[in-house]
Amino acid sequence: MNQLKLSTANLVILIAGAVMLIASFLDFTKAKATVTFGDITIHVSTGGGNAWSSGRFLVATIPALLGIVMAAHVAVDAFASGVKPPEKVLGLDWNQIHLVLGLQATIMMLAFLIQSTSPLDKGIGLFLMLLAAIALLVAAVLRMQEPASGSAPPVV
Amino acid sequence: MADRHSLTPGEIVIMAAGGAMLVFSFLHFYGDRSAWGSHLFPIATLLPIYGVVMALQIALTKFGGVELPGSVVGFTWEQVQLAIGAMAGLMAIGWLLTDTGDKQIGQWFEILGGIALLVGAVLLQRERNTGAIG
Repeated sequence: MNQLKLSTANLVILIAGAVMLIASFLDFTKAKATVTFGDITIHVSTGGGNAWSSGRFLVATIPALLGIVMAAHVAVDAFASGVKPPEKVLGLDWNQIHLVLGLQATIMMLAFLIQSTSPLDKGIGLFLMLLAAIALLVAAVLRMQEPASGSAPPVV
Repeated sequence: MADRHSLTPGEIVIMAAGGAMLVFSFLHFYGDRSAWGSHLFPIATLLPIYGVVMALQIALTKFGGVELPGSVVGFTWEQVQLAIGAMAGLMAIGWLLTDTGDKQIGQWFEILGGIALLVGAVLLQRERNTGAIG
């Protein structure tokens, strides 16, 4: 039986990449509305679009794409035995590439967190994408500290 | 003997792009807001910041006589330039394809500057024979 070779770092990247993709389709911002019927006041929240919506695509979609690239590389490396990604891309090895992509995704999501969206509120999609980006960065750092690819203790 | 202060084409591109991006970041990016304005800061400000960081690294080492460590977290400075340049180019394409309505002069220069940073970083790899390109 083939044993899957997924270290903790690679497992986190796979999961965070999937969370990032799913979260990118959830509300990036949400609109607030207050409706009053006589003495009754109802606060309503409605979706304000996701990371793929017009006006946000492509800038807000970039962190999701970076997460997908990271997860895809890990998946190909672990599951596609017939496919061998190049050792280096533009002089950077894959540990360095993961670190650059994870850092960029985190920087962009922190920027979106700080950015004013008034009068809209920030949505669950933005917060989940931020958490996933931080997880990708942490996993990329862990990946650099692991022994060479393939020899890390598998957890799955 | 080559003057150690003389700039290579890659270094000129990066310094010029970084300087232009900083200046144009204060002009209109979207509507009447600059990249530092409300609702745009800091997501639209990342591009000029990346440009300034790349240009500063060149300026400090070429003209400031600053001796930077040979590498940063396992990256040589040429790799740092390439990584930041690539991310700047990616964000530039991102802003180019994002429907922000009428793009103002500031946004156009940030987009051009981001692409120039990537080009400059690639040129730098060739000039310093890093083996990363070609």
